[in-house]
Amino acid sequence: MDIFQGLLGGFSIALSGTNMLFCFLGALLGTAVGVLPGLGPAATISLLLPVVYSMSSPATSIIFLAGIFYGAMYGGSTTSILLRIPGEAASVVTCIDGFQMAKKGRAGAALAIAAIGSFVAGTVGVIGLTFVAPPLAEFALRFGAPEYFALMLIGLLLAVFLSGDSPLKGLIMLFLGILLSNVGIDPISGKERFTFGIVSLQNGFEFVTLAMGLFGLSEVFLTLESKGAAEFVTATIGRIMPTARDWAESRWAILRGSFIGFFTGVIPGGGAVVASLTSYALEKKFAKHPEEFGQGAIAGVAGPESANNAASSASFIPLLTLGIPANASIAMIFAALLVQGVTPGPFLIQEHPDLFWGVIASMYLGNVILLVLNLPLVGLWVQLLKVPFGILGPLIVMFTVVGCYSLANDMFNVYVFIAFGVIGYILRKLRFDPGPLIMAFVLAPLIENSLRQSLLLSAGSMAIFVTRPISGTLMALFAAIVAAQAYKAVRKRKDVKCADNGE
Amino acid sequence: MFGKGKGKILLSVALVMVMVAALAGCGAKAPDKAKQGAAFKPDKPVTMVVPMAAGGSTDMLARAVEKVWSKYCPQPLQIVNKPGGGGIEGSTFVARAKPDGYTLLMGVGSGHDLVMPHIQKVEYDPFKDLTFISRLSIHSVVVLVPENSPHKSMKDVIEWAKKENKPVTASVSVKAGAVDMVMRGIGKSAGIEVTPIPHAGGSQSITTLVGGQTIMGGGHPAEVIGQLKANRVRPIGIATPDRDPSLPNVPTLKEQGINFYTWGSVKGVGAPKGTSKEIVDYYADVLKKISEDPDFKKAMGDMLQPIQYMGPEEFAKFMRQASDDYAKLVKELGLDKK
Repeated sequence: MDIFQGLLGGFSIALSGTNMLFCFLGALLGTAVGVLPGLGPAATISLLLPVVYSMSSPATSIIFLAGIFYGAMYGGSTTSILLRIPGEAASVVTCIDGFQMAKKGRAGAALAIAAIGSFVAGTVGVIGLTFVAPPLAEFALRFGAPEYFALMLIGLLLAVFLSGDSPLKGLIMLFLGILLSNVGIDPISGKERFTFGIVSLQNGFEFVTLAMGLFGLSEVFLTLESKGAAEFVTATIGRIMPTARDWAESRWAILRGSFIGFFTGVIPGGGAVVASLTSYALEKKFAKHPEEFGQGAIAGVAGPESANNAASSASFIPLLTLGIPANASIAMIFAALLVQGVTPGPFLIQEHPDLFWGVIASMYLGNVILLVLNLPLVGLWVQLLKVPFGILGPLIVMFTVVGCYSLANDMFNVYVFIAFGVIGYILRKLRFDPGPLIMAFVLAPLIENSLRQSLLLSAGSMAIFVTRPISGTLMALFAAIVAAQAYKAVRKRKDVKCADNGE
Repeated sequence: MFGKGKGKILLSVALVMVMVAALAGCGAKAPDKAKQGAAFKPDKPVTMVVPMAAGGSTDMLARAVEKVWSKYCPQPLQIVNKPGGGGIEGSTFVARAKPDGYTLLMGVGSGHDLVMPHIQKVEYDPFKDLTFISRLSIHSVVVLVPENSPHKSMKDVIEWAKKENKPVTASVSVKAGAVDMVMRGIGKSAGIEVTPIPHAGGSQSITTLVGGQTIMGGGHPAEVIGQLKANRVRPIGIATPDRDPSLPNVPTLKEQGINFYTWGSVKGVGAPKGTSKEIVDYYADVLKKISEDPDFKKAMGDMLQPIQYMGPEEFAKFMRQASDDYAKLVKELGLDKK
């Protein structure tokens, strides 16, 4: 078969000395980038572009850059779990349960399951890339604005499930997230919203500053204030290998996360953040003990970490088969290819089979390298927790500040980050959970834009959402979820009533 | 209130924050004075600010320049991306930098210089706050239809719209952006109704078009090169007054009877106002040599970015003309009304 021949040829390229070396270097650097808060893969790739241009073969340079990209997805979990600071955007939800696990002395298990889940998902993603990339990319193209709208509506519904114990507080956070996401230039009308004339706000708030401020910096403030400032998490580190119960709870979460991530990654504009948020909400729905979520449920780490890794592998599909970059990092890889005279797109497989299959083969290798690299590192990372907070705290603040600065080579994001740190501190003192805020911040603009684009397409007719096959199906699914929830709620109330009457 | 240990920690966290604030202050000041002399030659690395995100067409142009830069200039070129405000932030940064010849701006003449000032207040005036060095390229707008579209030319689209009496949906990157203006202009000049559908950026709008969700769309050739090469989209018109050298077979709108053109997105290099003539001439010369370099030519050809070099005086005249044209256009299309 063509695919096997191609893949075999790809491995012969990926296994050459230089390419192996750069695959390893990329994975290693990516892990470091993922671990350092705020310094995302996009910033790193843009810094390395000059290095890449001087490489002799485009295949080597893409193998290197791709390694950084998926390596960062691996490493992103580390600081989320240990310090409650998302290493990159897609690791925000990992903060919720991962950090709770660390607090309970199970940091080792959380890091290990994140690494293993990432490996499984990354491999699932690459297998998908190998066998079904072209037809899947064609299918993804049929996702127009109405389909997007329906999909994101389901996402927002899941976000409501994310809210913790108090639905009212969850709802307030949801609306705050929507409000914050509105800041910036409205792409449809071109008008400024809530920018107060500040040019830096025209592009809206950066997701990373928001997430690192609300989660990370607020945690530093809380620790400063709390009694146990000397022990940021806990002195006991616990066993590293997950227990049998951990496995039982994570197995399906990893698989579900892999598939969610894969499909959201393929749809241009979906991406790793949406994938990890959706996976978390879904795991909470599927869990036998949903009340454990937010208290250190291992499935809440395994699912999202798998999802964001599968999404990062899958986001190469629109690039390699359609020539459409789905996110900032991929856009830079796209640019690197173009400057070297290679046009990503449907003809890539025919014009540059060596490059296409070489990169895919390197991704199989890269995932193995990352697993081999990361499992032993778990022990090293957890040692971080033994560093006294007096040293660790300022270091965290320094790294996050550098990360924020690197977003636009500008101080503005640093100020925003500090402001969100203070806001996050106040919110958490008042027992508000920033989770739903983050989800709404990501989803609201997608929902709003796709709704307005759909209505422009249909000249104002709402029928567009139900008459198109894909969006009609998704809308039916949405209605079914709402109906099921309502039924459950009514029955619960009845039960309570009956119980009351019985008393 | 605080224990002894905690006070120390608080102090060190505060110290980091103070250091950060101090650094922020330093950033505004440029390093030492430029040597004033007859012949300028840089003696430390030169910074080129790209006011757009890395990976976009302006960034790619800067990277292509960087690739051959060291052949013609003894000092390395550092590219710094300062995205934000649709290009305004990076440009304002350069406008306020020291005119010592070590801070250059790539992409002078993009929408934020030539179009935005006619629509809203902009923090700097490109004609007062910048010195124009050289024009390198123009990224024209090419009008596209999806591969399975029945329309083969602009005329087909217009006839269809008139016969069916339906609005023509058009996928555009953002409201009042380069593609949006072209779509509105076509509607106005041809007397048909065009409904532009804005997106949050070029790549999303192209995805919509390739998926056949709209009747037409557009982009800069450099942005849609993958789709063009693979015949996923069909180019049916160029919106600049003359044909785009990177797509020589595509007729202009004018050739097809639509009396309308824009200057697309002009890509020049600039420096802060007050940069001495020696410095301007030095870089104009370096850039001229780069524009004639075979490796640069090949890279630009591969990216569908035409090389259209202009020296300082010519470029300044051209900018004036283009800005006046855009002022008229913005008024005609009603984009200036808030």
